Amino acid sequence: MSQFLQVLLSGLATGSIYALVAIGFTLVWQAAQTVNFAQGEFVMVPAFFVLVGMHVLGFPLALAVGFALLASIVVLGFVFKKLIVEPILPSGGISLIIATMALGILLRESVKEFYGAEAQPFPPLFPTDPIHVFGAVVSMQDLLNLVISLGVVILLTLFLNRTRTGRSMQAAAQNPAVAEILGVDVKRMIMYAFLINAALAALASFLITPVYLAKFSNGETLGLVAFIAAIVGGFNQIRGALVGGLLIGVLDNFVATYITAEYRAALPLILLIVIILLRPQGIMGTSEGRAV
Amino acid sequence: MTAPILSIRNISKSFGGIHAVRDVSFDVHQGEILGLIGPNGSGKSTLFNSILGQLPPDNGTVEVKGTPVTGMRASKLNRLGVGRTFQQLSVFPQMTVLENIIVAGQEHKGTLTSRLFGPPDAGLTAAADQMIEFFRLTHLRDTPAGSLSFGQQKLVDVAMAFMAGPDLVLLDEPAGGVNLTMLAHLKERLIAYNAEHGTTFVVIEHNMEFVMSLCTRIVVLAEGAIIAEGTPAEIRANQTVIDAYLGG
Repeated sequence: MSQFLQVLLSGLATGSIYALVAIGFTLVWQAAQTVNFAQGEFVMVPAFFVLVGMHVLGFPLALAVGFALLASIVVLGFVFKKLIVEPILPSGGISLIIATMALGILLRESVKEFYGAEAQPFPPLFPTDPIHVFGAVVSMQDLLNLVISLGVVILLTLFLNRTRTGRSMQAAAQNPAVAEILGVDVKRMIMYAFLINAALAALASFLITPVYLAKFSNGETLGLVAFIAAIVGGFNQIRGALVGGLLIGVLDNFVATYITAEYRAALPLILLIVIILLRPQGIMGTSEGRAV
Repeated sequence: MTAPILSIRNISKSFGGIHAVRDVSFDVHQGEILGLIGPNGSGKSTLFNSILGQLPPDNGTVEVKGTPVTGMRASKLNRLGVGRTFQQLSVFPQMTVLENIIVAGQEHKGTLTSRLFGPPDAGLTAAADQMIEFFRLTHLRDTPAGSLSFGQQKLVDVAMAFMAGPDLVLLDEPAGGVNLTMLAHLKERLIAYNAEHGTTFVVIEHNMEFVMSLCTRIVVLAEGAIIAEGTPAEIRANQTVIDAYLGG
């Protein structure tokens, strides 16, 4: 029983970080009707901003994290939206998807060029000491990762549902032309979505990199798993991305512990196939119609 | 005659070699219900979109209450007191009727901070409920707008356009696809709102019965140019209009 709880909590902790990244996918999808295939790299880069803050600028860890959060929001949110999304979006979602793939490669290779191909040590943000929860031994880091990720998701949900800006963002996502006519500054709402996405990616980066270390290729797996989590949960629902992320994190841990660790990388793909066959809109998602 | 609330001067718009709107000028006065009619392809929708900044004209100017607004973004026009409804369904389908109507009014209240973090009803629930009651939609208040009938969604769309307290509303084919009972209700509510608030309407409409009984003045477009202007009775008797539009 204690092992079960241990595996469950650890899976939820990893899954909650997948969920942060997956929620970013859904936010960008709702705002700009496109998929950001550089999302994995958006999670990889902020960790290197932290390292630059510490090693190049000489900041202590806490300040370096603050610097990295700000840099991520500016570069991966504002600059990404202004320099890539705005000019390319009028040409269609497919053009933008290809552009984000190219951006992913650029970010990956730039980090490799600048920081090298070797994994860099990344300081843990929280104590890694084990603690006992109902007989299970769980690391404090896992527990705090889970609490912080879920806390941020709850805050984001409250922001979107309980504030005027959140309601305006939903209106802009559901019907941008009408929202604009009603006085909603749709461009600003889309910008907010990109800034929030960058902040979520940065947070995921700070939480997961102490486990995986900082490496230029970190985004490849993480981006793919989060993308699958968003599809499994329902691409057009934030709560769907949360469910998808948690489900993959937990299943991954259970399969690795109780069945085999050999095929754990295949698990998200198997889940994706099952969901697409049985419920293409995702567990929590709703069907969307498109005029063609 | 009062000063014009909407003044359109020499508006032209072409798409390649096709002149969709040609040198169109007219004024709309406070409290008027002006109908804009014409056969398919006569340039009504292009003119509408040019007025609303969604399709900036090649030439000409648009003024609202004396302020030049040519090419202005729709969200800014809305803040100047100009609303519109759409030909297609234009509600937020996943929000309830109440939420739809509140969203339509919330951008006009409060500071940047209150807009960012303030509660989503923005103190507008009472006003939204009044609007819902005015359009007799109370029984649908908490229903997701996407599940309403076409005619009910049209009513919600009009209620949303009125929520910000506009001086001028442009209605794009409000009668399109609406059944006769709902249409009579919509017309009666539009006339009542105009009488109560003095709000000016410009209406594009194909339903001649609806437009003739609703509007106080009518402008007729054909091939992008104005061919007639007058009261409904004058338009009915105008031979040029009959030849060009009514198929007489």
